Amino acid sequence: MDEKQIRRDRLRYSKNKTSSGLALLAIVLNVFYFVSIYKSDVGNYYYTWLTGVSIIFNLVFMLTVFLCSEGVKNYHLGYSVTLIVVGVIQFVRTRIIPKKAYEAVVILADQETKVMTDAQHTRIIIYLIASGALLILAGVIGIIKTATLRAYEKELETKTAA
Amino acid sequence: MASLKLQHLEKIYDNKVQAVYDFNLDVKDGELIVLVGPSGCGKSTTLRMVAGLEDITSGKLLIDDRDITSMPPKDRDIAMVFQNYALYAHMTVYENMAFSLVLRKENKNVIHQKVLAAAEILGLTDQLNKKPAQLSGGQRQRVAMGRAIVRTPKVFLFDEPLSNLDAKLRGATRREILLLHKRLRATMLYVTHDQTEALTLADRIVCMSMGHVQQIGTPLELYDTPANLFVASFIGLPPMNFFEGRIENGSFVSEDFKYPLNAEQKELLKAYENKEMTLGVRPENVVRADSGIRVRVNLNENLGQTTLVHGTAGSSKITCKFREWCDYKEGDEVYVGFDRVHFFDKETSNAVR
Ligand SMILES: Nc1ncnc2c1ncn2[C@@H]1O[C@H](COP(=O)(O)OP(=O)(O)OP(=O)(O)O)[C@@H](O)[C@H]1O
Ligand SMILES: [Mg+2]
Repeated sequence: MDEKQIRRDRLRYSKNKTSSGLALLAIVLNVFYFVSIYKSDVGNYYYTWLTGVSIIFNLVFMLTVFLCSEGVKNYHLGYSVTLIVVGVIQFVRTRIIPKKAYEAVVILADQETKVMTDAQHTRIIIYLIASGALLILAGVIGIIKTATLRAYEKELETKTAA
Repeated sequence: MASLKLQHLEKIYDNKVQAVYDFNLDVKDGELIVLVGPSGCGKSTTLRMVAGLEDITSGKLLIDDRDITSMPPKDRDIAMVFQNYALYAHMTVYENMAFSLVLRKENKNVIHQKVLAAAEILGLTDQLNKKPAQLSGGQRQRVAMGRAIVRTPKVFLFDEPLSNLDAKLRGATRREILLLHKRLRATMLYVTHDQTEALTLADRIVCMSMGHVQQIGTPLELYDTPANLFVASFIGLPPMNFFEGRIENGSFVSEDFKYPLNAEQKELLKAYENKEMTLGVRPENVVRADSGIRVRVNLNENLGQTTLVHGTAGSSKITCKFREWCDYKEGDEVYVGFDRVHFFDKETSNAVR
């Protein structure tokens, strides 16, 4: 066996821990995001139903990504695809609550004051984008590894059959 | 692979228990040595001293003539396989076998090839992705061996590796170890209290009792020419029969019977005239005869090819192993002779040879 083939052969006995680890990291970043967003010294920007949806989404997000992080370990294509989809959703989310919150103002001493500071906004955007990027990366790595492994397995099969 | 020398090894535990006395052994390259003896005789202690898991109180330990007496275990290049396997439950077979190499930061591709090669030798190729809990006892033991093999150590140590297996699996795994030894030509030190394992596996056996080495020799030597009463009674199944008596006028005379010596034996026992002796006869050396020693049968056990007859010759117990099917009833009488006997000096308990 040459180096390349050994590397492929190793896939048969090792789990896809890279994708799994990246997905878990994405969960952590998402936690950072939602503990950071509702914080403000001046006024508030709670949107009754939207906040509710956001809380539920965060729960579903964590559950899904956690399940996927286990699933990708064993080279299942579906979990990789799901990770990519969820990653894209993270990007889309930057346009909803963060955007609204950043645009919200209150009148303080007759002056329009932003509820969310620039720094806070940058931070939560980074959390979301990074989380989404990690998920997409995890998914792509998962797909590549899975495809490599499946192709290799097919190769072995034809070899033993021949 | 390597040679191993144990020179005057002694072990005294912190609580002043001396577990091993003056242990001397030269293990040649590629030899399989079995340490055998009853429970508590110091076998594991000796092995653990070689592994470096136990301090050596005095004496020297050499691998390839290099002194490793005070070297820490990880530098000794010795792999030990334990009775309880000591596998990591959360890791797959593959990961278990690769683990020690991963710790040493070896190249992953190199590790991969070593693990696959070991799995091939042990017939574990199809089990590599399973966890230990999904394996049978025999397979787990093979994984434990695989973990030792991938390290290509200088010396393999086994501490009763088969005692957790059922009888059938024990036999099969025993044969696998023997094949493994042949294939790897590895230097191995193997501890067991089971004499069958010792006789079947060993190039040489070390028989121990109470911390003392009683005899070192090939299986045949221990079986055929035991050095003393202990070895004679320990090796052989069922165990040897012993009779107390004395040498009188060219015969061994006990309370229960008189055994006339042949010329050779008379020569051998010249110095023992009128001295106390112990006569030993293996059950398989007891043969049926038309006259001779009268045995009163207590129990008849048919084993198929052979029959074990337990009885008494006068006041002494005797077990006979006849090579045919017998149907004695309790109280039957049968005459037997001995076709090979061993004599032991009663004072020293050493064999007279
Ligand atoms: N850690 C210890 N501290 C004190 N004494 C010990 C210790 N380990 C063992 N011993 C004693 O040393 C003697 C030899 O023990 P060892 O474990 O070597 O026996 P063994 O031949 O392996 O027996 P077994 O067949 O039961 O495993 C025993 O009398 C035992 O009680
Ligand atoms: Mg022991």
